[in-house]
Amino acid sequence: MTTVSVDPVTQEIIEGKLIATVDEMGIVMARTSMSPVIYEVLDFACGLLTSEGELVAQMNGITLFTGTFGTQVKALIERFKGNLADGDILLTNDPYSGGTHACDFAIVKPIFFDGAILGYAINVAHYLDVGGSVPGSLAPNAVSVFQEGLRLPGVKIVRSDVFSDELLHIIGENVRFPEIALGDLTAQVATVRVAARRMTELATKYGEKIVRQAFVNLLDSSERQSRAAIAALPDGTYHAEDVIDGDGVTEDPIRVKVAVTIAGDRIIADFSGNPPAVAGPINCARGALQSATRTIVKALVAPQAPSNEGWFRPLEVVAEPGTIFTAEKPSPTGWYYEGSVHASELVWKALAPLVPSRFSAGSYSSLCVVYLSGKDHSGEPFVHIEPQHGGWGASEDRDGANAVIALTDGDTYNYSVEAIEARFPIIVRQYALNVEGGVGAGRRRGGFGVVRDYEILGDDAVAYCSLGRTKTLPWGMNGGAEGSPNVVQIISDGGNSVRSYGRNPHIPLNRGDVVRIVTGGGGGWGDPAQRERHLVEDDVLKGLISKEEASRVYGFVPGSVE
Amino acid sequence: MIRLATDVGGTFTDLVGYDERTGEVFTAKSLTTVKDQSEGVLNAIAMAEKKDGLRSRDVIFFAHGGTTVINAITERKGVRTALVTTAGFRDVLEIGRGNRPDLYNLQFHSPEPFVPRNLRFEIDERIDARGNVIRPLDLSGLKPIVQKCREFQVEAIAVLFLHSYVNPDHEIQCARALAAALPHVTVCASHEVSRQWREYERTNTVVLNAYVQPIIQHYFARLEEALARQDLTCPYYAMQSNGGISTFDQATQSPLTLVESGPAGGVAGAARIGQVIGATEVLSLDVGGTTAKCSLIHEGRPTLNSEYKLEHTRIEPGYPVQVPVVDIVEIGSGGGSIARIDERGVLKVGPESAGSEPGPACYGRGGDRPTLSDAILTIGVFDPANFAGGTMQLDKSKAIAAIETVAKPLGLSVEDAAMAIIEIAHANMINALKLVTVQRGHDPREAALVISGGAGPALAARLGRDLNVKTTVVPPHPGIFSAWGMLAAEPRADFRGTWFAALSPDAVEELSRRFRQLEQEAVAYFAKGADADIRFTYRVEARYKGQEHGVFATFQHGDTQETFGDRFHASHERAYTFRLPASPIEITGLHLEAVLSGPVIAMPRISDEDRSVDAALRGNRDVYFGSSLGWLTCPVYDRGKLPPAAVIEGPLLVEEATTTTLILERQVLEVTAEGVLLIREQTAS
Repeated sequence: MTTVSVDPVTQEIIEGKLIATVDEMGIVMARTSMSPVIYEVLDFACGLLTSEGELVAQMNGITLFTGTFGTQVKALIERFKGNLADGDILLTNDPYSGGTHACDFAIVKPIFFDGAILGYAINVAHYLDVGGSVPGSLAPNAVSVFQEGLRLPGVKIVRSDVFSDELLHIIGENVRFPEIALGDLTAQVATVRVAARRMTELATKYGEKIVRQAFVNLLDSSERQSRAAIAALPDGTYHAEDVIDGDGVTEDPIRVKVAVTIAGDRIIADFSGNPPAVAGPINCARGALQSATRTIVKALVAPQAPSNEGWFRPLEVVAEPGTIFTAEKPSPTGWYYEGSVHASELVWKALAPLVPSRFSAGSYSSLCVVYLSGKDHSGEPFVHIEPQHGGWGASEDRDGANAVIALTDGDTYNYSVEAIEARFPIIVRQYALNVEGGVGAGRRRGGFGVVRDYEILGDDAVAYCSLGRTKTLPWGMNGGAEGSPNVVQIISDGGNSVRSYGRNPHIPLNRGDVVRIVTGGGGGWGDPAQRERHLVEDDVLKGLISKEEASRVYGFVPGSVE
Repeated sequence: MIRLATDVGGTFTDLVGYDERTGEVFTAKSLTTVKDQSEGVLNAIAMAEKKDGLRSRDVIFFAHGGTTVINAITERKGVRTALVTTAGFRDVLEIGRGNRPDLYNLQFHSPEPFVPRNLRFEIDERIDARGNVIRPLDLSGLKPIVQKCREFQVEAIAVLFLHSYVNPDHEIQCARALAAALPHVTVCASHEVSRQWREYERTNTVVLNAYVQPIIQHYFARLEEALARQDLTCPYYAMQSNGGISTFDQATQSPLTLVESGPAGGVAGAARIGQVIGATEVLSLDVGGTTAKCSLIHEGRPTLNSEYKLEHTRIEPGYPVQVPVVDIVEIGSGGGSIARIDERGVLKVGPESAGSEPGPACYGRGGDRPTLSDAILTIGVFDPANFAGGTMQLDKSKAIAAIETVAKPLGLSVEDAAMAIIEIAHANMINALKLVTVQRGHDPREAALVISGGAGPALAARLGRDLNVKTTVVPPHPGIFSAWGMLAAEPRADFRGTWFAALSPDAVEELSRRFRQLEQEAVAYFAKGADADIRFTYRVEARYKGQEHGVFATFQHGDTQETFGDRFHASHERAYTFRLPASPIEITGLHLEAVLSGPVIAMPRISDEDRSVDAALRGNRDVYFGSSLGWLTCPVYDRGKLPPAAVIEGPLLVEEATTTTLILERQVLEVTAEGVLLIREQTAS
C-alpha cells in the first residue's frame, strides 16, 4: 500500500467525524429500542473499526465493551474470510470469541468503498430475553451455556440489504418477547447503516486512502500517549487480591489475584494462577477479561480521551485458559460482569497507591441486578431488569460519590419510579440513600449506596438476582475503613419476615411482598481521626451520620452543630 | 410608535428599535452591567437616544432578553430553597439518574443538587400512576417543616409529589398550606411548571424554578421602575426560551422559561427572515465570542428540545429541566476561541476562549494566543482600520505573531495556519449544523442558512457551500441579531402533558377533546378574550408499542386513526430511518403550541436613492483563499449603500458596522428588496 500523508487539519476533521458518527448511532439506538435494558440502562455500545478490525471510535456508553469489539470483529473476519459482500450484515452473540454473554447481540456491517472493505460498524446490545431456562435468560445458577439461550455465533442476518427470513424466524421462535427482540434488531441494523453512510461520505470527500491513513495516525498517536503515561510510572510488579462472594451455585468464597508489572512503557496484567472456571455463571471469557483490564488502563492513561485500540497496544494480559476469567465452552457466562468487575478491581487495587490522583478506594462493585417477572394488569407476562446504583470509594481529596452506577456500566440511568409504576404491577415504596448501612469512614469517607423498595401488586411474581460484595466489603485506602455490603431482602408478612439474598435463582413473591434492594457504601481514604470538623458537622446536619457515630468514629465532640 | 428590544448578553447589552410609522431604526451596544443588568439597559437606551434620536416616550412595546436566570443558576446565586416531597423520596433530587458519562474517571461525582439534604423534607401521601390516592395527604407533617424553613431562612419552597402530572390535588393542597404558613416565601408546585412524568427531571425543574423566582421578580421590579423613570411606560415583554414572548408577570410565574432567552431571540429572528425570503426550512447559526449556536426552523417554526439539560456535556450529566426550550446545539467555537496544538501535535480550536478580556490578540489588550478572529483578520477578511464601524483599531501584527506560535510547529506559513484554524472551527460548526439537520432527518439542501454574530458572516459563504444549502443569508444587524429577533417574536405559550393510550379511534377523539381543553387554558393564559387570534399547533408524542422514547407528529382536529398513524410512521422514519408498520402505536403525550398573533418587525423595502453598486464600492482588499487559489483581490462594498436587487459576483467583501461578510469565488451576492444579503453558488441552476 502506498502511504499518503494526512495534514493535521484533515486528521482533526476526520477524528471529529468519527466521534459524531458513533454518537449518532447511539442516539438512534437509545431512542428506538424496545427493551428497557437498552433505552433506559443504555446497555449497548456502538463503534467503528478499521478493515483489520481495530477499533477507531466508540460511543460513550458502558465500559463492559471497552475491549470486546476488536476481538469480536477479528473473529468474524476470520470466519467470513473473503465471503463478505456489500449489503451484508453479520450477527453474533458468541461469548467465547470476544463476546460477553449470549444476551449481547452484536450486529456488524462491513463498510465497502470502491469494492473494498474500508472498515466495520458494530452495535452490541443487551437483549431482554434470548430464550434459555429463565425469563431474561440469565439463570444465576446456570451450570452450562446451553441454559443461557439461543446462540448465533456468526451468521449473515442481512444479505444484499435483505433480512434473512429464516434467521428472523429462528429468533422469533426462540425468545420470550419476539416483538421486542425483532424491534431491537431493526434498530441495531438502522445504526450500522447510518454509520456506513457517514463513512462513505467521508471517503468520498477526502479520499479513501486519506481516511485509512487517518485511522493509522489516530491509533499510533494514542499508542504514543499511552506509552508515555505508562513510562512515567515506577517500574515494578504490583500485587492485589480479592474475594468473590459465591458463584450462584455455592456461596463458597472464590479467591482471585493479579500481578501488574510496569516495565518501561509496557504494562502486563498477569492473571495466572486464578481458580478454574466455576460451576455458576459469573465466569467471564477472555474477551471480557481484556475489556475489564483495558477499562482500568484507560482510567490510568487518559480517562477523558476518546477510546480506540491504540491506547491498549502497550498492554499485555496474561492468563491460562479455562480459569474463572478465561472460561471456555460450555462454562456459563450469563453473569460474566459479576466476575469481570473483580478482574478490573484487582488491577485498580494494584495501581491505586501508585497514582492516587486517578483512583479511588473500593466501591460497591456489583451491578446488583435484580429481575422481577410475573404477569401485568392484563395478564401479559413481563420482566423488569434493573441494575442498581451504589456508593463509590473516597479518593485522596474528596468523599466518594453517592449512588452512581458500578464500574462495568457507565452512562447508565436508573429507572424512573413514575415510569416503572406506569408500566409494571409494582409500587416503589422508597428510593433513598442507604444511610443506615453507612459507608467506609476516613479522612475522606466513602459515598452512600441506595435503598429501593418494590412492592409487588400482582400474583405469581418471581425475583432472581446475583449480587456481589455481600460479604467481602469495598476496600479502604491509606487507613480508611471498609465500606458496607450489598443485599436483597424480601420483607413479607407486614414486616415480620425478612429474608436476605445475594445470588439466588428463584425467589417466589406473594402479593404485598416488598423486595428491598440495598447497595453498599464505598471505602474510605485516610485516617478518620483526621477528618475536618466542619465536614463531620455537615454530615450530621444532613442526617448522613448520627451524632453518636460522629463521636465514636471521628472523635467529634458535640458543640454547636447548626 | 416605536417597538424596542434589548438583549443583555455576557459582555454586551444590545438594543434595536424600530419606528413603525417612520421606518427609523435605532441601535446601540453598551457594556453589560453585571451587578444590576437594568443599568446596562438604561445605558443602551441613553446611547440610542443620543446617537439615533430614540424617543423613549414613543415606545409602545418593549421586549427584553437577558441572562439573569441562567447566571443565577450557573453562578449558584439563587435563593435558599427547600423541597417538600413524597415520603421515601427526598433523595431523588440528589441521586438523579446516577449515570456516569465520564466512563473512565474513577473519581466521578454526580452534579450537586440545588437543595441540600437537610432542606429536603418528606410528607406522608401517595398517588399512583393512574392518579388514584393510595395514601391520603397528611398535612400535620408540615408543622416541623415550616419550623425548619423559618430556622434556616428559606426563601423558596418547591413541592413535588409523585404522579402529580396525572393528579395535582395533593401538590395544590400542600402548596396552599405552605403559602399560608410562610407568607413571605415563594412556593412553587411541580405541576404548575411541568405536566410531564419522570420524578427526577420534574423535581429538578420545580426546584430550579423556585430557586430563581425571587431573583427574577426583584429584577423585573427594578427594571420596570427604571424604565418608568425614563418615561418608557408600555407593556413589557420577556423573551422566552421557546422562541416567543410573555408578559413580565407571566414570566415571573415560570422564570425557568427564560433560561435560554437570548439565543431564542436569534432563533425567532431567523424564523422572521425565513418568512421574508420565503423559506420555511431555516438553519440559524449565531457565532458569538465563545460559542456558536445553531438551531433548525422547520415548517416556519422553531423546533423544541424535549430533553433540555443545563450544564450538560459529553462527560457531565447536567441538570435536566422540563421547560420548552428551542432546540439549540451549542459548540465551543466562537470568534474568541483559542487555537492550540495539543499533546499529540494536532491543531485544536476552542472550547477555551479569550472572551472579551483579554480578547483576541488583535484587540491589543494583552491576549497573545491565536484566536479564530485573529485568523480571520490574518487572511484579510476584516479591515484592521475599520472594525466595528471604525470604533476599534485591530492590530494585525499582533494577530500574525499569535498565529505564528501554531504555524511554526505545524510547519505552515502564517496564512496557511490561519486558514487551518478557520477550517477546524468550520468543521466543528458543520458537525453541529448536521446534528440539527441530517442527524434528525432534515435535509440541509432544502434549507436557508441564516448566519449572525460578529464572526459569523465572515464564515457564512464557506459553511453554506459545504452544507450545500439553498441560500446563505446574512440578515440586517447581524451583530445584534438576537435583539432584532425579539422584535419578531410573538406571545407564545406551550402546554405539554403526559397521557398514555393505545392509538384507537376513541383515543383520537379523546386527543381532540384534550386539545380543546388545552386551547381553553391557552385562551385563559393570554387573557385577551375568547376571540383572541391565537394560532394553535397540535403535536402528539407517540411510539411503537414497547419503545420508551416517543416521536412527535403533528395532529389535527378531525384526524382519524389512519391519518394520524400515517403521519406518525413518517415522523418516525424521518427521525430514525425506519418504520414498523405492523407495530401498534401508543400515545404518550400532548403538546399544544399557542401563539397569539401580534405585530412583528416589518422589513420595509430599502430605497434606491443614494444607493448604487458603484457608490457602495469602498476599494479593494487581498484575501487569502487557501493554498490552491492563493491571495485574491476582492472588492469591498459598504452594505449601507448597496441598492436593492443588486447582483455581484464573488469574490468580494461587504462591510457594515458590526461585521464583514465574505463571498467566495464562484458565488453570487444578491441584495433583496429589503436589504437582506443572499449568497448562492454561481453554478446552481
